[in-house]
Amino acid sequence: MLGAIKGYLSSNVTPGEAGSQLWATVYIIVIVLGVSLAVIAMNWLERKILAHMQIRLGPMRVGPHGLLQPFADALKLLIKEDIIPANADKIVFWSAPVVVTMTAFTTFLVVPFGRTHAVTDMNIGVLFMLGISSLGVLGIIMAGWSSNSNYPLMGSLRSSAQMVSYEIAMGLAIVCAVLMTSLQTGTGTLSMIGIVEAQNAQGTWFIFKFFPLGFLAFVVFAIAMIAETNRAPFDLPEAESELVAGFHTEYSGFRWSLFFLAEYSAMLGVSSIAVTLWLGGWLRPFANTLSGPTWDLAFSLIPGLSFLVMGAGTFLGTIRMPKIVQMRAQAIGLGVFAALLGLVGLFLLLPGVRERVQDIFWFVAKVACFMYLYIWYRGTFPRYRFDQLMKVGWKVLLPIGLGVLIATALVGMRQELWASIVGVAR
Amino acid sequence: MGIDCGGGALSLTPLLRKVFLVDLVKGLSVTFHNQSEKERITEQYPLKRPMVFERYRGQPRLNSNPDTGKSLCIVCNLCALACPEQLIVVKGERNPVTKRKEVVSWTYDLSRCMFCGLCAEACSTDALELTQDYEMALYSREAMVLDQAALERGQEPVRYAK
Repeated sequence: MLGAIKGYLSSNVTPGEAGSQLWATVYIIVIVLGVSLAVIAMNWLERKILAHMQIRLGPMRVGPHGLLQPFADALKLLIKEDIIPANADKIVFWSAPVVVTMTAFTTFLVVPFGRTHAVTDMNIGVLFMLGISSLGVLGIIMAGWSSNSNYPLMGSLRSSAQMVSYEIAMGLAIVCAVLMTSLQTGTGTLSMIGIVEAQNAQGTWFIFKFFPLGFLAFVVFAIAMIAETNRAPFDLPEAESELVAGFHTEYSGFRWSLFFLAEYSAMLGVSSIAVTLWLGGWLRPFANTLSGPTWDLAFSLIPGLSFLVMGAGTFLGTIRMPKIVQMRAQAIGLGVFAALLGLVGLFLLLPGVRERVQDIFWFVAKVACFMYLYIWYRGTFPRYRFDQLMKVGWKVLLPIGLGVLIATALVGMRQELWASIVGVAR
Repeated sequence: MGIDCGGGALSLTPLLRKVFLVDLVKGLSVTFHNQSEKERITEQYPLKRPMVFERYRGQPRLNSNPDTGKSLCIVCNLCALACPEQLIVVKGERNPVTKRKEVVSWTYDLSRCMFCGLCAEACSTDALELTQDYEMALYSREAMVLDQAALERGQEPVRYAK
């Protein structure tokens, strides 16, 4: 048994390639748990960072620095009365949050956290992700329609109009990246792992490819993905400071928390598409300039060291806590958290673990940057008006995306084009 | 003097600002710098007590001589006369032995006080003072009329017990 586990862990295939249903199940469970944990962490981080950007403190009372606040909120949502409006279409009302959550989680099937750390490597990976995530729109329309109320219906229609129109710009940007994968091999790939390996083979992340074309495509995608996930400054369907809650107005308690979970895991999902397509997925930064075994070792130490630094920072926070009786329990809690972070850091420094885990670390670190950007945008930008939103989508992003796509194709084919022009001239 | 229609080179700058998202980046830098701990202005009130300014006028206090323990008030009634709300009532009686006036009753109606500080300024012996204490909430209207004892010991905030 242990031998089988070790044998698999040292092998170099994904569960899909190995044809192992057991490992696929394990991976799926780990990913679902990991994403849920990330959503919890994101909930806390968003409230803290947003508060700090607005010169506030954010949650401070539940646990040290409010660390237990998301758990308190989750408990509150679970024990809240679950209301289904009298005139609602009960079956659709019941299934809408399930659809939204399922689609949000299913996208993670093909996300490559590392060369071997994906549930499976589909040869249509990107298409699969886009297709599944756009099924989420269906769930939103279901939620709005089945509530049998005006506000949710309007909210869901706005939401779906926005998601559908930004999906086009998003798709164009993605096609640019897919075109780039075909540059050396002649055949492109839609597989998420294949795209990262193409970036590895070409020795550059696609964001730097054909500068500024790759970067422009990335920017188009980065803007479209914010609109796609209905986040500020494109959060018109919810617009928490102006409107009632949009498509989930009539939802409460656990069903509402499912929508919340789906929204945040969709954010994680599109961020992982962006990371895979443009930021080199699990590849470590500076792979070209700082290469060689010494640098490889140095970079493989970064995951453990970064956790140790986080632990040290948390410990510093423990020391700086006010020395009064009321804060003693919180200080001890924060100290325990610091020790936990430190232990994780030490664990990640072990040679066997370090080799296995560093690609996951780089992927997660890049996704985390996107999550920070989401919060940063929300803390900074005022909301767009609906016509401005549509204008940005159709009159700015779509032409830029098309132009970049054509330019990428031309630049990629420049030698063949030149040869044919010379041939005609001759 | 023609009206500038913003043609040619003049309109290029706003266009470039738009294309390179200059204003958005400026906004982002503002919120980024706001995250610094120095910028934070929220206080954890009951756990960390805010520092009030030196000239803050809060809870009134009647001072007594630290050596003898006797009140510094000479019942001159200047504070009661200075008070625009007339919320200070001082009653005194002349002591036949020392020929000095001594306090019989001293009340200060905190509920009507606007903390203008005119009473403390009028006091000729520095007996009445508006201190920096700011926790003056009480559970009844009657308790807000402070007597001499309450004014001398300085009021303690009443802790709420279930």
